Amino acid sequence: MDKNYLNQVDDIPIKCTQDIVISRQKGRELARKSGFSVSEQTRFATAISEITRNVLTYATEGDCYLFEKTLDGYHMVIAQIVDHGPGIDNPKLAMNDGYSTGNGLGLGLPGAKRLVHELNINSMPGKTLVEIIIKGRVYR
Amino acid sequence: MKKIPILYLNSILIASIQTELTDEEVLSFQSELLKKNNKLMAKGVIIDVSTLDVIDSYMAKVLGDLTTMVKLQGSAFLLCGVKPAVSSTLVDMGMMLTKIDTFLSLEKAFNFLTSNDRKFQ
Repeated sequence: MDKNYLNQVDDIPIKCTQDIVISRQKGRELARKSGFSVSEQTRFATAISEITRNVLTYATEGDCYLFEKTLDGYHMVIAQIVDHGPGIDNPKLAMNDGYSTGNGLGLGLPGAKRLVHELNINSMPGKTLVEIIIKGRVYR
Repeated sequence: MKKIPILYLNSILIASIQTELTDEEVLSFQSELLKKNNKLMAKGVIIDVSTLDVIDSYMAKVLGDLTTMVKLQGSAFLLCGVKPAVSSTLVDMGMMLTKIDTFLSLEKAFNFLTSNDRKFQ
């Protein structure tokens, strides 16, 4: 198997709040199957919940893609959440605790970043991609 | 839409959230709980989350709001059974739910409310 093999596991359309629940359950299940601890599963699922809720708040609909990848001795579980809304005006500002342009608590993005190993934002009007990654060493 | 059963025992309202709820279901649960409390005039409300795997910032906000609302109505609000992974996730995220009275188990919460009562009798 190729070392850089990126395996798409799931594609969950996000259209209503039920899809937030489905996304985080599937994300949690994938993390569990990949051998992550209960604590890491919970953190990953909670982060997915925060980001997918942003999709419904700011962009009406989008998609949550789940991937697995093994690279340089690390096994990663990745969630890419994509929407076609107006985009995040100022990603740096959006990462500040308590900052919100909606009526939320302003904990979604900065909170999610603290829960996972990596959180990357690629945002422009018409397409926003938020990628969250948890990783663990592979001993094989 | 999923409905959470709200039980009434010894003047205490008890609800156990065992499945993950959508935002709408959480809000409908909130209003039903407040209505029931108004009607039955409970001494306290206990919410058990011992089988809940994920409490995100939205759910945490609703629980915090419920505390204030139930206390405003004049009843005690107790939360019990927060899982270890859930509690560490909430704190790391920055949700400090310090205004909620929490207990390790439903039994401890129930005993607290009933024994507290005995003192006043």
